[in-house]
Amino acid sequence: MAHVVTPLDQPSNYKDSQARVDRTKQNELLSKSTTLYVGNLSFYTTEEQIYEVFSKCTNPEEGGGIKRIIMGLDRNTRTPCGFCFVEYYTHAEALASLRYISGTKVDERIIRCDLDLGYREGRQFGRGKSGGQVRDEHRADYDPGRGGWGAQAQRLEIERRREVEERYADAQEGPGAVAGGGGDWRESEATAENTLKRARSPEDEGDSGRTGTRARLDDADHDANRI
Amino acid sequence: MSYNHHGGGRRKHYRDDHDDRRREIYDTPEQRLRKSIINLGEVDPVQELERVAKQIRQQVPVSVPAIAEGFRIGVTEQPFKIPYYAALLRLLHDPSEEPTEEEPAPGSPSLGKQILEDYWKGFQAFLDKLAWRELRLCIHFFAHLTVAGVINAQSMFELLRSFTAVLEEFGASHGRAMKAALCAAEGLMMAGPVIKQTPDVDASEIVATIKAYSDSVNSTKTLVQPVVKLFSGEPALEHADEILDSAIAALRILEASDFAQTADTFPQPYADFPPLDAEPFELPSVLVPPEVIELDGLMTEDGEDAQVKKEEWPAYYIRLFDNDITPDPTTPVGYAIRSGLIDLVDIFEVNRKECARLLLEFPKWMLPGTFKPREGAPYHEPVPGKNWDLETTVMETILGTIFLLPETIHKPIYYYTLITELCKLMPKTAGPAVGKSIRKLYALLADGLDVEIAQRFADWFSIHMSNFNFGWVWKEWIPDLSLSPKHPKRVFMQHAVELEIRLSYYDRILRVLPEEMQAPEAGVMPEEAPGPDFEYDDPAKPYHDSAQSVLNLLRGRAKAEDVIEHIQSLKNTLSESADGDVNVDSVVRSITVQSLLHIGSRSFSHFLNAIERYLPLLRSLAGGGIIAGGGNPHLEARMDILSAVYAFWKRSRHMVAIVFDKLMQYQIVDPTDVIGWTFTNGGSSSRPKSPNTFDAFQWILLKGALDKANGRVMIARRKVAALRKEADDNAARAKASDSATMEVDTEAKPDVIPAAETPALTTALKAFATLTREQKAALSRTLDGFVDYLAANPDANPKTREVITEKAWHARANWDEVEWETWETWCWYRHFARAYSPYLRNYVNTLAAVSLDRLETMSDPAVDLFKKTWNIATGQEV
Repeated sequence: MAHVVTPLDQPSNYKDSQARVDRTKQNELLSKSTTLYVGNLSFYTTEEQIYEVFSKCTNPEEGGGIKRIIMGLDRNTRTPCGFCFVEYYTHAEALASLRYISGTKVDERIIRCDLDLGYREGRQFGRGKSGGQVRDEHRADYDPGRGGWGAQAQRLEIERRREVEERYADAQEGPGAVAGGGGDWRESEATAENTLKRARSPEDEGDSGRTGTRARLDDADHDANRI
Repeated sequence: MSYNHHGGGRRKHYRDDHDDRRREIYDTPEQRLRKSIINLGEVDPVQELERVAKQIRQQVPVSVPAIAEGFRIGVTEQPFKIPYYAALLRLLHDPSEEPTEEEPAPGSPSLGKQILEDYWKGFQAFLDKLAWRELRLCIHFFAHLTVAGVINAQSMFELLRSFTAVLEEFGASHGRAMKAALCAAEGLMMAGPVIKQTPDVDASEIVATIKAYSDSVNSTKTLVQPVVKLFSGEPALEHADEILDSAIAALRILEASDFAQTADTFPQPYADFPPLDAEPFELPSVLVPPEVIELDGLMTEDGEDAQVKKEEWPAYYIRLFDNDITPDPTTPVGYAIRSGLIDLVDIFEVNRKECARLLLEFPKWMLPGTFKPREGAPYHEPVPGKNWDLETTVMETILGTIFLLPETIHKPIYYYTLITELCKLMPKTAGPAVGKSIRKLYALLADGLDVEIAQRFADWFSIHMSNFNFGWVWKEWIPDLSLSPKHPKRVFMQHAVELEIRLSYYDRILRVLPEEMQAPEAGVMPEEAPGPDFEYDDPAKPYHDSAQSVLNLLRGRAKAEDVIEHIQSLKNTLSESADGDVNVDSVVRSITVQSLLHIGSRSFSHFLNAIERYLPLLRSLAGGGIIAGGGNPHLEARMDILSAVYAFWKRSRHMVAIVFDKLMQYQIVDPTDVIGWTFTNGGSSSRPKSPNTFDAFQWILLKGALDKANGRVMIARRKVAALRKEADDNAARAKASDSATMEVDTEAKPDVIPAAETPALTTALKAFATLTREQKAALSRTLDGFVDYLAANPDANPKTREVITEKAWHARANWDEVEWETWETWCWYRHFARAYSPYLRNYVNTLAAVSLDRLETMSDPAVDLFKKTWNIATGQEV
């Protein structure tokens, strides 16, 4: 069913500008991806709001669901900077979000979703000079949902909604900073009540399919190569 | 044009050397021709027919398969154009007027006939795959071709009969029967005028077969009607139309007039063409192949078939408006419009924006005067009995699809955001249509709108409002605040507001409500913004100090084993000082779980981090490892954990559901625990609730648990299948290389490896056995819960017998909270039975033996209704 119109879940030309894999490999990874990059969020949108909207595309009876949400943070201030990753358990759920949610409003802003290669350590932080997203460096308009004026023009608005902004003050860096969200059911876990010395549990970092990507922290942004 | 996704719209400075999609793509002549066929009628279908026909003829060399494929795509993906495709193909049956270089040999078939022959091959392929929608749309095409004289009417009738033959098969599923019946019914609506004139053919036979089938599923219908009548065993006729019954009614009207109305229902652009001077095409006879069920042979330990076969149900489309605003689907033209719109919504699910555009262009493909002209369009005389309102009709159809029971075809969110797109395209007309629909649905809440539909209604309402600034005129519902707090209208208001708050935030939603609804006493808004409630926060509260000590350890990221040790000693200390009636184990579990949730209360991620860090602690708590008690310590411990979660998040039911989900995911608790807790403890937060009743919040928790249990079985099944395939592939490869190297004795080594089970496969099979056992336990616990609430003990809730009577229902204006709550409980039981029927059917005997047999000796109206519902849902004799 794609002869007459273009399906909305076709890969767009969004990409992680720092992914170190070639286009073929990227396409292959995207065709199985369970992760969405979600952009144009308000700085004040909470994970619970995101959960509420994105859970409408889950297939729990197929073993799906929302695995985790990773809020994009300003590298310096540790405050949300307008993007996040939503990771599902299945690829079909990510595609459904592209078809049904991308382009609708979340917290009264039109958001956009793209398939992502998968979260890697460090990608929860903005890549702009000021710590936020690159697109907010150069933005010249006034956007109350994204801290008012662009980063270089403002600092004052940041005091707004202290509670929201302090939420992630404890955000960590490095391995294990971001929770896995829980993996598939396993026989061993159910009975392993006394194995206290287990390593940090879930196994999701070992998931195949994401091992090929590499991201490095510096000055670029998810949005830089978007349309 | 929308399908041209290679040009336009992209920024010029876009650069990506690796992006292969950017390269210019040149269409081959065949592709160009195909596009022309697909695009037929974008401006004016009638005007374009000759031009496209000419373009097809001029193609050199002629590629019949490419042309036929263009037709196939056009017909199955743009069904609204089918009459014009029929006209186009009819034109191609005429000899070419312009002399071509090669004169066709005399007597050779016309181009049109060659295309039709090729097209038929495609139809046969759809038949082999049982691609029902494609089959039905191809039949539309054939039916129009029959009226156009291209296809032999007798053979068309035989084709339709091969579809009604399905209805007489033994044990055909309802889904199969319904789809086959619709193929025959719709084909007859379109081809009726010529079939009727064919000698020795009785069109009424088709109608009679469909009618007999439809009557045979009447009891099933009562379980999926949008408006609930608990007291009635017969399907009701108001507020909704079942699709097969609509088709039958429309066909009867057509029959009564010898199909004179067909021309008034479907465009027939070929009607004025001269008769074909060749023999019409004889459709070959077909047999609708049986359903193929891929059996993987996986059974539960007790030998039950664990494969889920989604059984389809009679499809009731809700009716909200009067016949002069939206067409009556039990009339030929009303049926044609509704089914045309349903097809559009279904086909264009891949792109809701294009779908919205096409829905609004729909009148172009219907006969003139069907819909009211758009504002500013040239005036034309309204057609009596037509002149419907497009946006309202579209809205009613989409809502009908959203409210199909037990579940929608696509995810409900698709339809919600499709409506959003319609409103964006046509704010002035689609917006009011949404408003009118909301009012009609809201009114139906008082008349028994099914609870699952009410739930989806609130869900849609909140999503829709969140896309349009939460602008709803709440004040018109102020008078309803005097209804019982559990009246469906008030439950709806609470629920809609709760969902809006989740999508936005408390103060934002408070602002849009009228003053009368802002006060907590109004029972619309919660008293305060949703948030955590750490029971031990207040220094005046008991166990404050104990909780602080646990909290400090957690905040300091103490190791799990150290926390466990601390809790053990805390338990000992508390035991020494506690009063006799205090369950110290429960207290310690509550302190620990709430403290853990407290450090994770900032966000979903914080919560995940907290529990992941302390999984050993949680496991230890859940396994009764720290605390040994009497009875079933594990179960008690898990119930305590769930109760502690509820106590902590009672002002945010969303979080309760999220935390329960992850506790199941991390295997701290099992789905069956959550279900047990839901029946024994799960109440409405902040609002009191009668005992032994079940509400929407409990349903969400129950559904979460059942879906988790079922999803795990699904994953395990896929894993087994993948491992088996891998093993088979390896075996085949080994065999291949064996035979390559040792050609000498190929026959000496037959199938050595497939029998062997790899360790991974053994583990996967074991997991599958465990998980199906858990699945069965979860379903059984649910059934038990409902038996207890509704049927087992007449004293548990005396109202269960009362609210199901006709007399009580008609006196519902006087119902109090407990009556409405009990009615709702019945509705949720019904929904459980129909929604999980594919799973229940697999275990029907075990489940009935465990839960229903204790009802055996009793007979009273509640027991009877309970069993009857069960029997319908599990496909047994009623």
